Amino acid sequence: MSCVERADDFEKRREKLQAMSDEELHHHFWRLVEKIVEPLIEEARSHTTPSIERSILLRMGFSSIEARELVAKIQQHNLLGHGAGRLLLELAKAKQLSIHEAGSALLSGQYWEELPV
Amino acid sequence: MKLSPHKKLDVREILKGLEKYQPRRKGWSWRKKVAANRIGPFVYKDTSESLTNSIPLPAAAYFDNIDPQSDVVITTEIASGRFEDDLRRMRMAAWHGADHIMVIRTTGQSHIDGLIEGTPEGIGGIPISRKQIRATRKALDAIEDEVGRPINFHSYVSGVAGPEIAVLFAEEGVNGAHQDPQYNVLYRDINMHRSFVDAAEAKKIMAEAAILQLDGAHNANATAKQAWKVTPELFVQHAINTAYSNAAGMPDDLIALSTVPPTAPPAPKMQYDLPYAVALRELFAGYKFRAQQNTRYMEADPMEATVTHVLDTLISRMTSADIQSTITPDEGRNIPWHYNNVAGVNTARQTLMGLDGLMEQVELKQHGPLRENVRELKERAVLFLEEILEQGGYYAAVGKGQFVDQGYFPERRGDGIMRDPQGGDGVDTVIPREADYGAPVCSHFGNSIYAQSNSRPCDDYGGCTLCDPSKIQYIDELDAEDTVEQRLQQPLADRAAGLVRPEVEKHGDSIVCVTLFVPESPRVAEAAALEMAARMGLKNPEVISRRVMHPAEGSVFDIKGVLDVAINVNELEIPASEEPLSDEAIEAWIRPRNIHVVAATVGEDEHSVGLHEILDIKHGGIEKYGFHCHDLGTSVPIERLLDMAEETGARVILISTIVTHADIHKQHMLHLHELAKQRGMRERLILVAGGGQVTEQLARQCGMDTGFGHGTTGRDVGSYLVRVLQDKENG
Repeated sequence: MSCVERADDFEKRREKLQAMSDEELHHHFWRLVEKIVEPLIEEARSHTTPSIERSILLRMGFSSIEARELVAKIQQHNLLGHGAGRLLLELAKAKQLSIHEAGSALLSGQYWEELPV
Repeated sequence: MKLSPHKKLDVREILKGLEKYQPRRKGWSWRKKVAANRIGPFVYKDTSESLTNSIPLPAAAYFDNIDPQSDVVITTEIASGRFEDDLRRMRMAAWHGADHIMVIRTTGQSHIDGLIEGTPEGIGGIPISRKQIRATRKALDAIEDEVGRPINFHSYVSGVAGPEIAVLFAEEGVNGAHQDPQYNVLYRDINMHRSFVDAAEAKKIMAEAAILQLDGAHNANATAKQAWKVTPELFVQHAINTAYSNAAGMPDDLIALSTVPPTAPPAPKMQYDLPYAVALRELFAGYKFRAQQNTRYMEADPMEATVTHVLDTLISRMTSADIQSTITPDEGRNIPWHYNNVAGVNTARQTLMGLDGLMEQVELKQHGPLRENVRELKERAVLFLEEILEQGGYYAAVGKGQFVDQGYFPERRGDGIMRDPQGGDGVDTVIPREADYGAPVCSHFGNSIYAQSNSRPCDDYGGCTLCDPSKIQYIDELDAEDTVEQRLQQPLADRAAGLVRPEVEKHGDSIVCVTLFVPESPRVAEAAALEMAARMGLKNPEVISRRVMHPAEGSVFDIKGVLDVAINVNELEIPASEEPLSDEAIEAWIRPRNIHVVAATVGEDEHSVGLHEILDIKHGGIEKYGFHCHDLGTSVPIERLLDMAEETGARVILISTIVTHADIHKQHMLHLHELAKQRGMRERLILVAGGGQVTEQLARQCGMDTGFGHGTTGRDVGSYLVRVLQDKENG
């Protein structure tokens, strides 16, 4: 796929902008930016990634090594869309374990069938 | 941990107890501006609180050693590969006025999917890990206490592990970070969906830890061949990251635009760079500006780079900057050497001090080419945005190569960076959140079942690490071989043995740089210069800068090489330095004795300032102690000095000798000594010479009793004279 090549036709293209005051032009600029950013931020709101999930487990008190292993395993089970943190918290509550004990149990292969999904 | 200005930083002390270390504060610190700041003889308009310990600019010696500090934060970027060596560099930079220490990451960390632990050595930067951050932050705590101003520690939240690094930075009190998903997309070929989804989480974490964010737009300057032509796109890149950051929850005052004046002389810099800087500040009013200096056109000549950087800093002052970043003047030729970090910081410091008060005297014209160009840039940026939407949005536009095209938009050269929205590192790792998705932690962005409740999302389990730092898991090292402790063995052994080697970057690197002019045609001269360096004993000599002075008359070279010499400091003969007597003690001894001093600048020499500094009461000179001074002025023959000494019964002759052509300064000293001997006055007189090229040793060789060079004060001379006169009195 090749990119567009085009001569500088600024003078022609600017015609529609020339009537705008500086303030109007600024407003127009930021309206366009918002339109561009909207779908991007919406995707972020409704999606997650392994790095986000690992960052959540770090915040829940796991080491980077534990977070990596847990997220990889949860991903293998196709469960990351429920949230690694949620799975661990709800498991801990159900089994009356600490968060860390719940993580260790999952890493040793326990409770995978009992995760609240 | 407390530092003493006369003791080296003890890295072992820093490494102690890191597992329990907690940062003393979080978030960014600005300098404390002082409105009309009286410092020494001046009132400054654009300065902040002074430091408690610093090394002033060289010319400060003429202004009571004042060291005014600008109102903008000054950045230095550090990238040796060994953080333990970087710490010393940070301390030196802080003493010269840097309060934003930006640590470059090791090559390839962007593509590491997770956190690095321990202290492995890096390439062109350091592997950012928890241990390394803690050690650095702990050292910076001590350094900021030493200089008396908060120091901001900064690194990068980019790559495929952005959210994890953001958590690490929030936990460990990192104060500033680059975060811009476009950087991942354009320059690291990381999947764009992954980059943006990660970025929202990272930004939310940074925002709540008050970490100042810098964006990545300036990289387009560095990439484009004609950097000024990407300016319309730069507005767009800044705007996308800014709006995205706001949408992720980041307040305006934590969003800093990283902006670089795009050209360098011989380009007509002000014609291009000033309108760009003005347009940016108008479009982004309310956000912060991190003004970077130009690197795009830097090659090997540090002087050329410095002049460009002065002009860049002028643009910062004529528009605005919250942070003035600096580029080391040697960045075009090697990984920066530590003393060049200091040189870069001083370029900004010196320029900002020189420009103090500028904008209350001049203003930018509101009519004419500046305004026309500002408007044009904004319109071109708007057209760029419109085209993104016409292409189907950001991802589609990047997919079609709209970004970093060398054309001046709407011109398109067709050479933009193209990235496949469904490709790149980390492709297919973005996962839709299910309806029951939850993240029971603070600083989380987006849908989560725990976001609904009024309590903290981490209350169910007693708090996350951001609320309860005791839960943070500290890992010391993973690889027993590649650690700071291993690397420290050699430096510590050297120090214990008293051995010292030259260095520019890392302990014991033994690199030196010599400057050689060779009066030959360029190729011959270069070969000769390398041979000369080799015969000096430099191993692996390499030309790092070459400048033709004339095609036939010669060229000048900077050559670096390894000087494999370890000096044992215990075997050095170092002349003892004597503390001068106090003003009171000098005056108490001199005043009752009516001692006459005859002084002049000798030979054909019209320099008078140096001697005034030593004599004149207004400059703190020796008159104030009660010496009777007879200043005969400039270009005075030696004979006249002796005549006057005879007439007044003087005990002291001070000569200033600045001009040194054909060693004339040595001739003057010898002549004074000989003539005094001939006239039978030598025994009675104390002969003292001063000047830029005068040293105590040289003066003694030339028959003087002593000599003084640059930086001498009246107190030094007065104290010396009292001691010698006392000795004479006591026989």
